[in-house]
Amino acid sequence: MRLLLVEDHVPLADELLAGLIRQGYAVDWLADGRDAAYQGATEPYDLIILDLGLPGKPGIEVLQEWRSGGLTTPVLILTARGSWAERIEGLKAGADDYMSKPFHPEELHLRIQSLLRRAHGLANQPQLEAAGLQLDEGRQSVQRNGEEVQLTAAEFRLLRYFMLHAGQLLSKSHLAEHLYDGESERDSNVIEVHVNHLRRKLGREIIETRRGQGYRFSGDTA
Amino acid sequence: MRSIQRRLSLGLVSVLLIVGLLLAQSSLWLFDRSLRGYLQTTLQDETQTLLGAVVRGPNGLQLDERRLSAAYKRPYSGLYFRIDLSEQSWRSRSLWDRELHTVEAEGLKDALGDGPQGQQWLVYRADYQRYGQPIVIHVARDYRPILDSFSQVQKVILGLGVSALVLILLLQRLIVSRALRPLEQVRRQLLQLQQGQRSQLDQQVPLELEPLVAQINHLLAHTEDTLKRSRNALGNLGHALKTPLAVLVSLATREELKQLPQLRESLNSQLQQIEQRIARELGRARLAGEALPGAHFDCASELPELFSTLTMIHGNHLQLEWQAEPGLRLPWDREDLLELLGNLLDNACKWADSQVQLHICKVTAGYQLTIDDDGPGIDVTLRDEVLSRGSRLDEQVAGHGLGLGIVRDIVDAWGGSLQLAESPLDGLRVTVSLPLKRT
Repeated sequence: MRLLLVEDHVPLADELLAGLIRQGYAVDWLADGRDAAYQGATEPYDLIILDLGLPGKPGIEVLQEWRSGGLTTPVLILTARGSWAERIEGLKAGADDYMSKPFHPEELHLRIQSLLRRAHGLANQPQLEAAGLQLDEGRQSVQRNGEEVQLTAAEFRLLRYFMLHAGQLLSKSHLAEHLYDGESERDSNVIEVHVNHLRRKLGREIIETRRGQGYRFSGDTA
Repeated sequence: MRSIQRRLSLGLVSVLLIVGLLLAQSSLWLFDRSLRGYLQTTLQDETQTLLGAVVRGPNGLQLDERRLSAAYKRPYSGLYFRIDLSEQSWRSRSLWDRELHTVEAEGLKDALGDGPQGQQWLVYRADYQRYGQPIVIHVARDYRPILDSFSQVQKVILGLGVSALVLILLLQRLIVSRALRPLEQVRRQLLQLQQGQRSQLDQQVPLELEPLVAQINHLLAHTEDTLKRSRNALGNLGHALKTPLAVLVSLATREELKQLPQLRESLNSQLQQIEQRIARELGRARLAGEALPGAHFDCASELPELFSTLTMIHGNHLQLEWQAEPGLRLPWDREDLLELLGNLLDNACKWADSQVQLHICKVTAGYQLTIDDDGPGIDVTLRDEVLSRGSRLDEQVAGHGLGLGIVRDIVDAWGGSLQLAESPLDGLRVTVSLPLKRT
């Protein structure tokens, strides 16, 4: 999962970045509204966390610009302006969720998880479930037939992405784009290695390889 | 309240009455004067005729009946005489059984004398010297018919005067109400302003009212602007305080602090207190209260947005409904009302199993907002405690109590009241009663 964090307060951004990276997200950070307006629309993010009081361009305008440009990425507004009138304004501009500062990091993580599930049509699940697997995003482990399987951070990130896109064909480059932030080295071989690890832990049939096309997560749906 | 119209009418009526009465009365008096003057000369002629009728006969002086006018012979004809010689006196036959009393001075007597059959006599005395002796002649004439016609004239004048007064009053009313129409229009617009049906007064007013209207509009704009600016400043202040606070809250969850549970605990509780205090005070400071007379909340346009926001926050599993009369506008600031409803509905959504309903209706004393949910509700014994929680600022309030605190602030600012009861949906019913603004 690749997130864009737009926040101009550096200490808070540092805190958020650290927390989000611990949660296994690839995060790009921007502090200026104009940069955000451009980069949010061009890079393939899975979710955007947007502060409203930004230098360069107000967050609301950035959001309106994205939405009028047809961007459908879920956007979570994170702001100190917590009145209901402002909340309504934010959601009217096209936000998917609204959190007011200060907040607990755990709550933010839960909101991000549920927003991502909702964005992928899995709205009414307390946990991410797909193909008989239950992903515990807090503990970064997966349950299969009632038995808990431990995952490494990289495996967790990959499996979460697969589970949110169950049944879809995902190319290696697509996976690399969504699993690594803008500054990491993208090596598609690494993905291959992690796919193999997941197969070893959860069974071969769980991820199907389509030659020259990519992977398809199906799990043991049968 | 005194009305300009009534004051003008009262002034006009009294002036017209006084002037009219004076005029009518004095013209009648003058007419009476001149008429009496004219009658005096005819009465004088009459005495001379009578004097001519006094002739010397075989038995001394006698009255020549043939020279007397017929009116002196018909009883109570209205014309009478009395001739006093030194040792005898004659009286006209018309006097019949009445006596014509003598008057002291020569000329016309000022006061009218009483005659028979309600007659009012005008008495004239003339003194002559003839045949070597004084002859005093009194002539009386009935003045009653003239007095009657005077009172008739008086009645006619009164009637004319009254109808003229009524006509003048009607015309004056018409003129004044025409002249005051812009004032009435401004008054109506102010009422609409008070009820939140408009936010500015019309600029198209007569020259005399223009400064007033311009000043009111300026004040309205100024108040709105000040409110906007102070809200913006509060937003900035909130931003400046809450962002570092968010950093602190985040830092307090660090792994390193997990080793020191006590420190972490007190850190968290202090941070929470700061957070709540800031939220409450900023919320309170944001309130427009009754500052803006033109403020209004249009149910049909605001509620759908509020409800879609709530749906977004709480998910699709809740059935959220609202009911309000079509076109209902509440005369309070939009942001205040959104804050009030947002907090109450948010609470209801947190506790509800499947349903939350909002009813807004106009009652005689103001407006009533009812929020129902089908959650667990609050036990009767605890309701007062929940309501009083958060009523004091320095109290520590937890979770949803804070929302209720802000709700209380808003309701208090409007002079309304908040009640908790059992809902027909089995959950909690929160009723907010808001009185109409004083006009």
